[in-house]
Amino acid sequence: MQKLKVFNNAQGTDVDTVKLAVSGDAEAFSYLYEQNVTRIYNYIFYRIGSGADAEDLTARVFHRAFGHIEKYQEKGVPFTAWLYRIAHNLTANWYRDTRRRKEVSLEDHTDLPHQSELPERELEKTQEKEVLLNAIRRLPPDRQQLILLKYLEDLSNGEIAVIMGKTEGAIKSLYHRSLIALREQVMEISGTGELNEIKD
Amino acid sequence: MTTNGMEQAGSKGLWGLEEKLSSLLEPVTPGPEFVDALRLKLTQSPSVILETGKKKVIWMVAAAGMVTGALLVWLLHRKRDND
Repeated sequence: MQKLKVFNNAQGTDVDTVKLAVSGDAEAFSYLYEQNVTRIYNYIFYRIGSGADAEDLTARVFHRAFGHIEKYQEKGVPFTAWLYRIAHNLTANWYRDTRRRKEVSLEDHTDLPHQSELPERELEKTQEKEVLLNAIRRLPPDRQQLILLKYLEDLSNGEIAVIMGKTEGAIKSLYHRSLIALREQVMEISGTGELNEIKD
Repeated sequence: MTTNGMEQAGSKGLWGLEEKLSSLLEPVTPGPEFVDALRLKLTQSPSVILETGKKKVIWMVAAAGMVTGALLVWLLHRKRDND
């Protein structure tokens, strides 16, 4: 599957569409929704690891955003970035409320076949992915957010800085620290610190 | 490898971790039934906010509890005074 692209709309388009949505234009709502639902779902899914909970939280993000859409003010922050901030906050609330920061197996996701059905190479890849995701979920929320935005969405440091409300320099620095912390978590989980080579 | 992937962390993208992140983190797709159902809900009632209901219930239960408690204390006092 191709990586998602974010911020492909001019900010002006965002503002115009949001204005229409505020005035009750159903097509504008649909447009904003279609442009963002998959990326917000992806972000939440990788943060919490459960498809059902990701659907629930994605719905909450859009209900909150569209319920308060008149509060969105374009000040250099695209609508998508605003949604990411809501998603980040709601995910943090979810962890706080449910108190179940447990490691969730990737097998919970229905898109992935059960491990026993996989050929050896695929099984190895799935196991690697599981270790990596568990390691990511052990990081502090801001570091998780940074890594997912960078690798799921292929965003630049500048775009991530807008979403996270930091400077580009701060993002670069945080990214480097996050990779080091991630490496340590992988070592702790796998015991060796080595993710096996994937032979394509 | 992504364009922004190997821009720092000299030693082979921090021990190849960046390459692993690029290859293993693939976007997932939400179910079409979920996407369609949520779109319908949002376009039919865009001003509905789900989470406020939960807070209201909590406040109502707390208020009812306090009123009941106060009533109980008052009744016990009254009964004791009568005795």
